[in-house]
Amino acid sequence: MQSTLERIEREFDQALASAGTDSRAVDGVRVRYLGRKGEITGLMKQLRELPGDQRREAGQAINKLKQSVQARIEESLAAAEGAARDASLAAGKADISMPSLRPWRGSLHPVTQTRRELERVFRDLGFTIEDGPEVEDDFHNFQALNMPPNHPARDAQDTFYLEDGRVLRTHTSPVQIRTMETRKPPIKMVCPGRVYRRDLDATHLPMFHQLEALVVAENVTMAHLKGTLEALWEGFYGAGIKMRLRPGYFPFVEPGCEYDISCRVCEGSGCRVCKQSGWIELGGAGMVHPAVFEAVGIDANRYSGFAFGLGIDRIAMMRHGIDDLRLLIENDVRFLAQFPDGF
Amino acid sequence: MYASLKWLRELCPFDGSAEDVAVALTARGLTVDSVRTVGGDTQLEIDVPPNRPDCLGHRGLARELSAAFGVSLVAARRSPEGAGSPVSDSISVTIDAKDLCGRFTARIVRDVTIARSPAWLAERLEVCGVRSISNVVDISNLVMLETGNPIHFFDLPTVSAARIEVRRATPGERLITLDGQERVLDENMLLVADGKEGVALAGVMGGATTEIGDSTRDVLVEAAWFLPDSIRRTARKTGLATDASHRFERGVDREGVLAAQAMAVELLIELAGGKADTGMVDVYPGRREADSLTLRTSELERLLGYTPDPDSATAALRALGLAPRSTAGATEVTVPTWRVDLTREADLVEEVARHLGYDAIPTTLVGLPDVDTSSRQPDRGEVVRDRLARRGFHEAFGYAMIEPGEDERFVEADLRAPTALTHPIVETMAVLRRSMLPGLLRAVDLNIRRGARDIRLFETGRVFHPRQDDFPLEPLRVGIVWTGAARPPHWSEPTRPVDWFDMVGLIETIVGSAKRLPGATSGHHPGLSAHWETDGRTVAWAGALHPELQDRFDITVWAAEIDLDRLPEPSDRVASYTPLPNLGAVERDIAVVLPPERSWAEVREALLRVKAPVPVGLEAVDRYEGKPLPPGSAAVTVRIRLQPDKTSLTEETIETYRQELIRTLTAGLALEIRG
Repeated sequence: MQSTLERIEREFDQALASAGTDSRAVDGVRVRYLGRKGEITGLMKQLRELPGDQRREAGQAINKLKQSVQARIEESLAAAEGAARDASLAAGKADISMPSLRPWRGSLHPVTQTRRELERVFRDLGFTIEDGPEVEDDFHNFQALNMPPNHPARDAQDTFYLEDGRVLRTHTSPVQIRTMETRKPPIKMVCPGRVYRRDLDATHLPMFHQLEALVVAENVTMAHLKGTLEALWEGFYGAGIKMRLRPGYFPFVEPGCEYDISCRVCEGSGCRVCKQSGWIELGGAGMVHPAVFEAVGIDANRYSGFAFGLGIDRIAMMRHGIDDLRLLIENDVRFLAQFPDGF
Repeated sequence: MYASLKWLRELCPFDGSAEDVAVALTARGLTVDSVRTVGGDTQLEIDVPPNRPDCLGHRGLARELSAAFGVSLVAARRSPEGAGSPVSDSISVTIDAKDLCGRFTARIVRDVTIARSPAWLAERLEVCGVRSISNVVDISNLVMLETGNPIHFFDLPTVSAARIEVRRATPGERLITLDGQERVLDENMLLVADGKEGVALAGVMGGATTEIGDSTRDVLVEAAWFLPDSIRRTARKTGLATDASHRFERGVDREGVLAAQAMAVELLIELAGGKADTGMVDVYPGRREADSLTLRTSELERLLGYTPDPDSATAALRALGLAPRSTAGATEVTVPTWRVDLTREADLVEEVARHLGYDAIPTTLVGLPDVDTSSRQPDRGEVVRDRLARRGFHEAFGYAMIEPGEDERFVEADLRAPTALTHPIVETMAVLRRSMLPGLLRAVDLNIRRGARDIRLFETGRVFHPRQDDFPLEPLRVGIVWTGAARPPHWSEPTRPVDWFDMVGLIETIVGSAKRLPGATSGHHPGLSAHWETDGRTVAWAGALHPELQDRFDITVWAAEIDLDRLPEPSDRVASYTPLPNLGAVERDIAVVLPPERSWAEVREALLRVKAPVPVGLEAVDRYEGKPLPPGSAAVTVRIRLQPDKTSLTEETIETYRQELIRTLTAGLALEIRG
């Protein structure tokens, strides 16, 4: 008996090994040994023929073999199942390097992005954002800004006149006038928007974007103008910006000035962008001219104010390294798509 | 203006270099744009602001340098007395238009010899960008470039009847100017006339008949003051912007007329061998006292934010020739006649501030007021920009100026004709747009020519709708164009071109529940377009381009425009929660055949009118065209979704409702049910 069991075990080992992880072969091995007509099942049937004392001993031995065979077959079946699953997963593998399906990404015009960034800084500084018409009358675009008819400063602003005598606004300053006409000080506002001048060459478009700021209250001084300009450009570009004022003439401010900031490209040492000067001219500024206050009915003895302006397009060009002004108005999708904005 | 460094140094003997001069002038508001060597001299290109005509001459610039460097100016020339007969024997001057001509002086220099200018004179003019012509002509330019006062020479014998009359031109009067052009004048133009006719367009250009020529011997020297507005109007109307008009229209020094006159006479004697008659004729109806202004110390502080040291403030005013006199808490000054820009106290604040330097002004935010910033509505333009960009559209910017007629097919029929510009740059930018679409279609055209197929662009901006006797309306619009693929092209599926439903879906994400109605503008395809209304007003138009307009493109262009001002106010209501149903929804499908003239909208409306046992939703889930249906007909599958709330629906209730729907379609709408 003992030798029979040893033989069966040896043969089982061989059979199971050759079945490997083929689940059908493993199942065949199971049937061969544990099936109704299996070898181990057959041994159990032979037990009855043995004498009583041997029967018990042999029964235990057969049982032990049966359990061991059962366990090993289950093990092999599990291994076979695992192998089959691995094989089927391997067959379903994607080439993960293929291009994905991404939603389209649109873009906001660089001028819009720069305008929004400037507005953000002004909001943080407590300014309101105002709007006004693009077709203006002579009063709001010129006269109220201390530019009476035939004023030589009108020359600088090649105006588009309309057949009804109105104009396309040459600056956003008329929005300041309209705000001062309708609102009592304190006023602390910015007005971004499109403006128009009769000029078209490599450095001028007949339509561009300005932003002007105005503060009117009691005891507003040029020191506040400097403080606000500094806070604006630090808020926009970060700390370390240097700024300077130079006397400059604009009919609607007195004292008037132009303001420059240190060049962002060369940090002030001189480069192509700043024309080797280390400074970038950004715009005009000054204290609101008493004639402007008179035009809008604000008491110039009680209130004072400052105003300054800037060109959004130019700042956008510097910000993104755009070297050709025409790109801003051509609407080439290859250009525009370069400016996705945070979504 | 171009200035000569040598010349400035002669008038104000400072030690500084060209670089020092450039820095000093720039810091004083006279920006030096360039410095370059010309011959043995240095040329400074100076951007003189329009309020500083005194700096359109070397003496004025030297005056600024004198203040900057603390070096005194060389005294101005005095007029030679002259000899022989008095000037008034040979010429009479009357000013008829006293409002336009405040002063007219005349002197006579006889026996001049017209010749080439000496080298120093020609060189000096060259540095200043002026061509040398002859000694006498060059003298007049030299005087203007030094004093800032333009002068004019007449060939004396050609002045008829020995008289000068300064008067308004008569309408239609003609004058041939020095450039040989015949000018037709009007009654607002100031004319210098002799006994017979006009001899100069005052302050702008001389006349041809009295021009200095090679044979000129006796010269009548005019130095005058004309009203700036008048000169400017004339210069603009005639298109004659001359060096003289540039100065007169900004305002020359009415007292400085004499210095200019003196310098001219002296140089005619010195360089052209002339002899001056005795004295001069000086008609001066515009004479007035010099203006006085008061500058309060408190005003300096109120505008500058600091109190300059009183001594340095006074020194600043003195250096600029303002003769300051201190009183308690204030300084009184006399405004020199050359400083036409100083009319108010604030002007004096600037004089002090720029002399002491803007760097001296402190920098602070302390004391600035707070204003209410809370009331702002969300800006619809901004909301729409974000929405479209998130859906893959690129923001464009177009000109507000378009070609006449370019927007004709995209505007509502009752709109007034567009507003025209009086002087457009080009004819393709001659009127104000009434629609956003022309600019976007130009962009589509450009992109297609550059090889693009998938074009998704939008522009948010104002259009201009003219009104009678009023400002135009400027509604805020968004224009949208879409060509090419409907979705991002991907290897896993065939690329589908954008169609009607894509465009409509896009528009309705913006216009929300506005009612969709057939047809848009005459620029849209009549069968593939719609407009949307809220409160009886059209808020949006969309569709494929009309085939007539489509011809210029080789790809279907979908175009839409939304009037953002007409959309209802964006709701700021916080969404409130509806409890989720405990019971599952029940769905039933009905397929109905729609002949070509029938629409889904009428089916939907009719079905929704049938009373439902519980809340119901309707959707078209399939649309089939083809056999065995007749051509043009479509079978649309309607999915009815019943959502019971408290108790389950019985099969009987559902079936009764379904039968009622079918009856509505068949009996009510005379439609056929399939399957």
